[in-house]
Amino acid sequence: MITIESLSKSRGAVRVLEAVSLAGAEGTVTALVGASGSGKTTLLRCLNGLETFDAGRLSVAGHELTPGPHAGPRLDRLRRDVGMVFQQFNLFPHLSVVENVALGPRVVLGAATEEARAAAVALLDRVGLAAFATARPATLSGGQQQRVAIARALAMRPRVMLFDEPTSALDPTMTTEVLDVIVDLARDGQTMVVVTHDHGFAKRAASWVVELAAGRVTRQGPADAML
Amino acid sequence: MRIAPAWCWLAAVIASAAAAADLDEVRRRGTLVWAADQEGGGPHVFPDPADPERLTGFEVELADLIAAELGVKARFQQGQWDRLPLLLDQSADCVINGIELLPERRRDYGCSRPYFGYALQMVGRRGTPPAALADLAEPGPAGPWRVGVLTGSAAEIEMRARVARGEAQLEVIGYDGTIDSLEQVRSGVLDAAVLDDCIFTFYADRFAELRTIDRPFAGGLYTVLTSRRTPRLTAAIDEAIGRLIADGRLKAVYDRWDLAGRQQMLMLRDAAEIPAARRRPLGELVRQTLPLLLSSAGMTILLSCASFPLAIAIGLAVAIGRLHGPAWLKPVLTGYVELLRGTPLMLQLYAIFFLLPKVGLALPAIAAAIAGLALNYSAYESEIYRAGLKAVPPGQFEAALALGLSKWQALRHVLVPQAVRIVMPPVTSDFIALFKDTSVCSAITVVELTKRYSVLALSTGRIVELAVVTALLYLCMSWPLSLVARWFESRLERPGAAPH
Repeated sequence: MITIESLSKSRGAVRVLEAVSLAGAEGTVTALVGASGSGKTTLLRCLNGLETFDAGRLSVAGHELTPGPHAGPRLDRLRRDVGMVFQQFNLFPHLSVVENVALGPRVVLGAATEEARAAAVALLDRVGLAAFATARPATLSGGQQQRVAIARALAMRPRVMLFDEPTSALDPTMTTEVLDVIVDLARDGQTMVVVTHDHGFAKRAASWVVELAAGRVTRQGPADAML
Repeated sequence: MRIAPAWCWLAAVIASAAAAADLDEVRRRGTLVWAADQEGGGPHVFPDPADPERLTGFEVELADLIAAELGVKARFQQGQWDRLPLLLDQSADCVINGIELLPERRRDYGCSRPYFGYALQMVGRRGTPPAALADLAEPGPAGPWRVGVLTGSAAEIEMRARVARGEAQLEVIGYDGTIDSLEQVRSGVLDAAVLDDCIFTFYADRFAELRTIDRPFAGGLYTVLTSRRTPRLTAAIDEAIGRLIADGRLKAVYDRWDLAGRQQMLMLRDAAEIPAARRRPLGELVRQTLPLLLSSAGMTILLSCASFPLAIAIGLAVAIGRLHGPAWLKPVLTGYVELLRGTPLMLQLYAIFFLLPKVGLALPAIAAAIAGLALNYSAYESEIYRAGLKAVPPGQFEAALALGLSKWQALRHVLVPQAVRIVMPPVTSDFIALFKDTSVCSAITVVELTKRYSVLALSTGRIVELAVVTALLYLCMSWPLSLVARWFESRLERPGAAPH
């Protein structure tokens, strides 16, 4: 489902990623761990083309990406199959919760408004937030917002889900709420890549752990062996 | 650029209450300040083609002669023609610029004996109708005839009177300069122009495509205008003109300018005294002017409401193009914004209305005014929207892209709706600014509220009373506008509001 071969990226004179290779089979949860500045977030953002890379090969959910700038339509197709959840949630503040979740299917997949809305409410129910459908994101707690963000990504029925430090902006109680949702997804066989520096979280959710330092993979292996 | 002439004007009128200088002050100062509009053109007052810094014209010579008779030097003061009389209480001692001797002027100002006799001349293109004055009684081939006049001139009064009496089927269009109307006859925007015969005689060579239609008609006399507060100056100028006529110096001036000096002298010697007009009570004044002021307020609303949505649409497109368009487009759009922000609205309106017909694109005045306002304000709106789009956190764009939206879908559904909310306050204040800027459109013959006020104030002499009425009308329009804008803002900020 995910293959990265000898991927390298520089920012000016700085090598951000150096010959990174990894593979993630369908239904696995890969945790990217490492210190701040180790390149794990950059690597994750390469997977849906938010970042470009300079050398190597990358394939995700059947879509190939090549070094250098990406063509727009090709990226748009890849991103339909690869969902992403951000550290800062990035919900759309001008839309209600249910409209946030329905936007992708409605705009990208051309779903009818009512249909998209019903599907969105079902997804909100799954993350325990059906009661907040008509609320504005700003009125929700951080943990609730992150669960909406997960529902928003799931609404596109992605084959792969990317999480960029999904609990770093949350306090411990809210972290648990979000973690429960991710673990639940893992149990359902959702392929996921999660950037985190919370080893407890990695241990609970991940099946495979990749450790980065200074842009290189220092260790990788099954979660039980690594942590 | 963003001024409301009505307010400035009112302030000037109030401030100048006791500024008029009588004869003693003129003599003490050693200069007679005379006002005219050099844009009005020849043969009255115009820049010398050989030396554009020097003014020439028969009225320049007359001013020098009158000043010499008073024992002082003449000094020129520039002003817009239809507002020259307003300078009398301010910066000028007299107005010498083809001011017709009319009953209203006798009532409101000091008037010298006449110094020149004119007739009105209709002018059209060679080979196209109308062929005679009588043709105006029936509509032209394309509806009512379009006839240009100098705003506030005897030609305008005469042609409007003919329309009012049902003698002519025509639309009278007022211009700020006489040459402007001739240009527009040449380019085909107008069917004809009506102006003082001496003006067309003077410019006939420059407008070889134009011809006189019928004989001159409905003439009158020019007078030197002074303030009613300077009766001794008025008398001194009157006597000076008397001496210039008696000893033949005025005839010599007219002969030098090819203005039939002998005929002029005969006319002036026999000129009948024109009685002063009656001053109307305030109630009657308001009753008579309010319908005109209201319909002109409608024009102000039309111009604002038609141009601002266009300005926003163009401005938004330009802002998006500058932030997200292809690299080659960005300098083009930057140039567009800088050009439109860096040149006066007045100049842009002139270009659209007077220059485009030269390349075959003649827009009606209202369309030109709407286009000019929309283009000018689009530059300002684009800067506001650019700032608004940049103020949306970058994570929003990334989140939209990560969801699979294309760049344009992300703009349409995520960035622009948020930017619109951010820029609502500056856009609202820009709308009110544009609303007032519509007054600039009078330069291209669109009669909106400020222009209508200006025309009515001068023709009735009730400058202060009508300024108050006009100010109230502006307030009645802009205040609800502010309320609507504030309501709109609060609606957008309310959590849970419907976004689409």
